[in-house]
Amino acid sequence: MDVTPETVASAVSSVASARGKGTLPNVMAFARALKQLGIKVSLSQVLDVSRSVELVDIGARPDFRALLRANLVSQKEDFPVFDMAFDCFWREQTYERMPMETMEIQGTPTESDAPEGGDEEGGLEEAASEAMANENLQLENLDEFAVPTYSPQELMNRKDFSEMGVEESRAIARAIMLIATKIATQISRRKKVGRKGNTVDPRWTMRRSMKYGGEVIELVHRKKRIKKTRVVLLCDVSGSMDCYSRFLIQFMYGLQNELWGVETFVFSTSLSRITHLIRTKDIVNALEKISGSILGWSGGTNIGRSLHTFNRNFAPSMVTNRTVVVIISDGWDRGDVSLLEREMQDLKRRAKKIIWLNPLLASENYEPLCKGMQAALPYLDLFLSVHNVNSLVSLGRTLQKMVA
Amino acid sequence: MDPKQLTIEQVQEVLLKEKYVCDRSLATVVYLSLVMGKPLLLEGEAGVGKTEIAKVLSKVLGAKLIRLQCYEGLDANTALYEWNYPKQMLRIKLEEVEHGDKAKVETEIFSEEYLIKRPLLEAIQTDGATPPVLLIDEIDRADMEFEAFLLEVLSDFQITIPELGTVSAKHRPYVFLTSNRTREIHDALKRRCLYHWIEYPTFEKEYEIITTKFPEVEAKMAQQICAFMQKVREMNFYKRPGVAETLDWASALIALNRKNLDDKSVVETMGCVFKYREDLHHLREQVENRQLNLDALLRVSPELVS
Repeated sequence: MDVTPETVASAVSSVASARGKGTLPNVMAFARALKQLGIKVSLSQVLDVSRSVELVDIGARPDFRALLRANLVSQKEDFPVFDMAFDCFWREQTYERMPMETMEIQGTPTESDAPEGGDEEGGLEEAASEAMANENLQLENLDEFAVPTYSPQELMNRKDFSEMGVEESRAIARAIMLIATKIATQISRRKKVGRKGNTVDPRWTMRRSMKYGGEVIELVHRKKRIKKTRVVLLCDVSGSMDCYSRFLIQFMYGLQNELWGVETFVFSTSLSRITHLIRTKDIVNALEKISGSILGWSGGTNIGRSLHTFNRNFAPSMVTNRTVVVIISDGWDRGDVSLLEREMQDLKRRAKKIIWLNPLLASENYEPLCKGMQAALPYLDLFLSVHNVNSLVSLGRTLQKMVA
Repeated sequence: MDPKQLTIEQVQEVLLKEKYVCDRSLATVVYLSLVMGKPLLLEGEAGVGKTEIAKVLSKVLGAKLIRLQCYEGLDANTALYEWNYPKQMLRIKLEEVEHGDKAKVETEIFSEEYLIKRPLLEAIQTDGATPPVLLIDEIDRADMEFEAFLLEVLSDFQITIPELGTVSAKHRPYVFLTSNRTREIHDALKRRCLYHWIEYPTFEKEYEIITTKFPEVEAKMAQQICAFMQKVREMNFYKRPGVAETLDWASALIALNRKNLDDKSVVETMGCVFKYREDLHHLREQVENRQLNLDALLRVSPELVS
């Protein structure tokens, strides 16, 4: 995320009005500043801080910092932002004044702040349920996508992403999210239906045998546990892919939020993991931030090196023989082709399936001539096109078969 | 020992007595977790002592250590409780032969005698004066369903067994969760925990760890070991060595009666530090190409700030 000392300072000053005497209002204001900087903080965490603040000597700055950090931050990546915000917010003067006033907040319930916090939480819930209701409404209309009739919608579904204007792309983004959600729920439903397995379930065998007075007559079998497949997405965000990658990330975002075990990476000349970044509700803003903060967004491509980073740092723990790796790229590679080939080979050894999505594949006269694509071809299980909404639907179906 | 009476300094002290060196911020978090009764989620690279701290704490507190090792497919039956089916069946058979009372058998085979307690139930049901230390190890290996289920247990510290009723904890166990970060833990679970990331130790801290664990070690060699470890952690290895490897290596060198490290003994004993062929190869290459100047590294090891 793009956090500079300036953004920290402005976040801290924007909550200045909420600060007051005593620890609790200050901690709440601090939590609000953290929220603005993209660190998720819940009300219960803030309450825990106020509960634990009497346990340590808050005059000892490092201890107080450790206390706040352990309570309010829950991933290492947020530590630098937290530290900046901490230093900026708890400056020496306010800090020295504070310990004297701690005791009084224990006794007096802070009238102005408690309802405020409650409001916030309530507001959130309200907004969430509203969003849910909207989603449900739209979900019902979703089947339209599958019906091959003529409609403006249908036209849009066939239109290449690269030809879309701003308005259209918003509409498409919404549609993509709905499709992703729908596919994901179908997948999770499928998991429940299993074939009759071959292991005996003692718990239920026992239960059934009660009605025969304890004689085991019926054997109850346990349904075969369906092994879950993970999906790892590697998305090319170099310049040549600009008009496609946003949509694809959005699609993966939809899947990721519904499915277990989806990991998302973007690469151009280097590779970055963005799984945690796109796990927010507000995907549009998240995308802005990602594209701003990632080195080489819309730049050149080095697929081989990016794959090398992935194979070395992430593949050992993420890719098993149950993982489907989806690579989205047009295959224009400026790096070392032999490295690309070696890394593809390595990845192939680990993964269950490798799917390569190439938006250029749709054009009639496209042939995978560029060296990078040619080097990768032998290691692919599927080579598909993604250039419009319909192709995303068929990708969804393919994934569904593999994952379920 | 009652943790409520402790201070942060004392936590650090008692851990040190059990040969666990921890810095101030970790001690603060551990102290808070003990006093607030809030679970502590520890993350960090492999081999930095995440699991160890729970073990040492249980020793210090004189509490029982209950460990739940997570793996994919871990379910409620293995984590909570299970009825002892064979025993139940035998009992039924026996009653059949002796023409026992059917109603009585039915209630009796669902009593505690026929219950197999798994770690979570055990942690909640412990009667002793001190609550146990519950270590949920490598939570990232378990699946989402288990996490969701754990949420329930960790927020109420009670478990409902349909045939017996609800069991709730008399004393909340001290809960420690560890994760190697092969995947993200769900926010809802994280929110219920205190969070701490254990870093690789600094030179000084690592030196302290070695000399605490092995008082007989030569100061010079301990410094050399630390300098070497600090250096290789900065380099590009597939699996960077943790503190566990440092200690392995130190104990190997002590067993070999080495008082001083040189090129030869480093290369000979590298199997303690690197566990991948590629890494060993990489190291040898680096040493041969003079990219990694062992001589200089071992001779001018940085002085301790102490």
